[in-house]
Amino acid sequence: MSENIKTRFLMICVICTAVACIVGIQMIRIQNTEAAQRLLDASESYQGVTRIVYPDRGNIYDSKGRLLAGNETSYEIGLDLNSISQPETVASIASSVLGLDYAKVLGYATMTPGNGNPIYQVLDDFVSQDKIIELETIKDDYDNREAKGKEILPNIDGLIWTAHSQRTYPEGTLASNILGFYSYLDRTGGIGYFGLEEAYDSQLSGTPQEVYIVFDPQRLSTVEEVPPGVTLVLTLDREIQAMTEKALDEAIEWSGAENGTIIVYDPEDGSVISMATAPRLDPNNYWDYADLFPNPTPFNAAISKTYEPGSVFKVLTMAAALDSGLVDPETRFQDTGAFNIGGATIYNWNMGAWGDVDMTECLQYSLNVCMSWLSTEMGPDTFYSYLKNFGLDRKTGIDLGGESSWPLKLPGDSLWYEVDLATNSFGQGISLTPIQMVMAIGSVANDGRMMAPHLVKSMVIDGKQYNVDPVVVGTPIKTETARTLTKMLVNSLENEASNALVEGYSVAGKTGTGEIATPYGYSSTETNASFVGWGPSEDPKFLVYVWLEKPSISIWGSEVAAPVFSDLVSKLVVLMDIPPDSVRLAGSYSTAEK
Amino acid sequence: MKNDMLQAYKQAPWRTQIQWVGVFLLIVVAVATVAGLYLYISGRSAATGRRIQNLESELAILHRQNNDLETLLGEIQSENALSERMNSMNMRSLTPEEALYLEVPGYVPAEGPSFAPPPTILEERTPILLPEFTSTFFEWISSKLQAGPQNSTPTNEVQP
Repeated sequence: MSENIKTRFLMICVICTAVACIVGIQMIRIQNTEAAQRLLDASESYQGVTRIVYPDRGNIYDSKGRLLAGNETSYEIGLDLNSISQPETVASIASSVLGLDYAKVLGYATMTPGNGNPIYQVLDDFVSQDKIIELETIKDDYDNREAKGKEILPNIDGLIWTAHSQRTYPEGTLASNILGFYSYLDRTGGIGYFGLEEAYDSQLSGTPQEVYIVFDPQRLSTVEEVPPGVTLVLTLDREIQAMTEKALDEAIEWSGAENGTIIVYDPEDGSVISMATAPRLDPNNYWDYADLFPNPTPFNAAISKTYEPGSVFKVLTMAAALDSGLVDPETRFQDTGAFNIGGATIYNWNMGAWGDVDMTECLQYSLNVCMSWLSTEMGPDTFYSYLKNFGLDRKTGIDLGGESSWPLKLPGDSLWYEVDLATNSFGQGISLTPIQMVMAIGSVANDGRMMAPHLVKSMVIDGKQYNVDPVVVGTPIKTETARTLTKMLVNSLENEASNALVEGYSVAGKTGTGEIATPYGYSSTETNASFVGWGPSEDPKFLVYVWLEKPSISIWGSEVAAPVFSDLVSKLVVLMDIPPDSVRLAGSYSTAEK
Repeated sequence: MKNDMLQAYKQAPWRTQIQWVGVFLLIVVAVATVAGLYLYISGRSAATGRRIQNLESELAILHRQNNDLETLLGEIQSENALSERMNSMNMRSLTPEEALYLEVPGYVPAEGPSFAPPPTILEERTPILLPEFTSTFFEWISSKLQAGPQNSTPTNEVQP
């Protein structure tokens, strides 16, 4: 081979290598340009999509497993602008079936996707299953038609519907003050308001998860399952709740009261069996909240509204006096009809003097003077120490959103005066919520043990059902004190032939008539009428608290609230399967079947 | 012998060509087999992927239907609906005087609804098959090496 040819081959090799290098360098350069990166990013959107999966909100059931809050399917209707071929047909169907504005839908349907216009336009949301069935029927009808000649068949291509979950409350207004509501119209940022929906919002809603869904069938795998929210099983009994609400509504109407609250509570474990207040909202239409609850109407007065309870508070004063050893049921008191303290004079409810009375009669005749004497004899340290032990200086911690409390005035506080020691003893000058009263008085019904009021009985988390154990908040009084006081209250009701008595059942209880503070002093014509009672007295299964605000037919708790208690308990014992004393105490009776 | 072979190939050169064709066809068959296997596996994988997707979609639909049915049942059995039915059938609530109570020995009232099993303590179970039957030879060797020398137990002792 000549040198010339060798040189030529060498030249060709060098040129080829140079070209190859240039091509390689150019390839690397192109791949690292901004445009290439954009192309790469764009290609990822064709490979899959990242979606946030919101788990189904947990259900809420009553104590018998009846659904109180659940989920149902509703639909979002939208337009896929790339797929629309007959905008007029789409607009016409959307208008006739969904009741949407024809011109508006037509405007959307004729939009050209891209260039600032979306490719998908939402038309309506939370559309019911019925409407979707109607749309599907029309679509099927159009799809099954056969064209004759050059006839153009109608179609609603591009009109699409997507299913999603919607919170629903099948019982409507029933127990809505306990359930609260969930703002389901906000599909990504909805939260629970009031009641259980607020208190257990994070547990009920579960944890949303980001899931990447690939389009490449070869890379498809199971999408990680998103566990649903926690399911709650309540202590609440739907039948008893319905009966309580009905009793409250009738009581408000009958008594001419402005409002009212009734709580049925199991003092043994702190379970709230029912809790009725007025007004009540249908949580399916939660947007009515502002109209139904104008400021400052609380959503659930039983836990949010404080008031001066009046004479029902005497149960706690007497409990403290008995427990501290100051008195026993036979201790005598000379009632002169007036008691002077801190420059003020305390009178009885009828301004009368009742003379020589024992402690049971003090309760029976609801003597303010006697109670003032008891609290003064105990002294502020002992008296307020008992009130704090009864949990009256704090919230009960009930598992409902929106609980509030009023600070307990104590000696040394700027707003506490000596006369408060006397007025507090009969439930004036002290503001409490009904649930605080229920928890405190529940300790008397439960041998001195005070149980935390609660509504959740068990929870279903990740396929396992966990029971919620009752919590003992404290033991403010001794067992003996609690039993003695219960007997005193049974006797006082029977001696008085109270309107609260229930035929066949032994119940303990106390009436209350609290005067209402106004800017001009206490009103003598407007009162808070209350009654607290529990039974069967020797083994209490229920405690019922009735509060009627400003009744017009009578100002007295004994005439307004006591009959409501009696009427309600006569129905309650049937629903709770509690036989009358004659059957229950007859012998070996333990469990009954109706 | 070697010379005979060389002579035979020189006299009939098509023998060499057949050899080349044979090798080429072998490679083609091998490549086709691998390609076919790859296609089969990827096809199966894609079909399975689609099936998973469909099943997941079906699961979601069933889940929604379940929710819908539960809500529907809740509405049908709601207190309002039952009260209306009760009234339309001229029924009313029982009064305490009308209730008849009977003692039923041994009757235990229901505790409450059960939506899921209670939590259980996870117990470590002894595997049915010993590791000698499940581990590979190398795993067995490495476990023995890691365990180190062990005292031999007397074999003549009768175990109770």
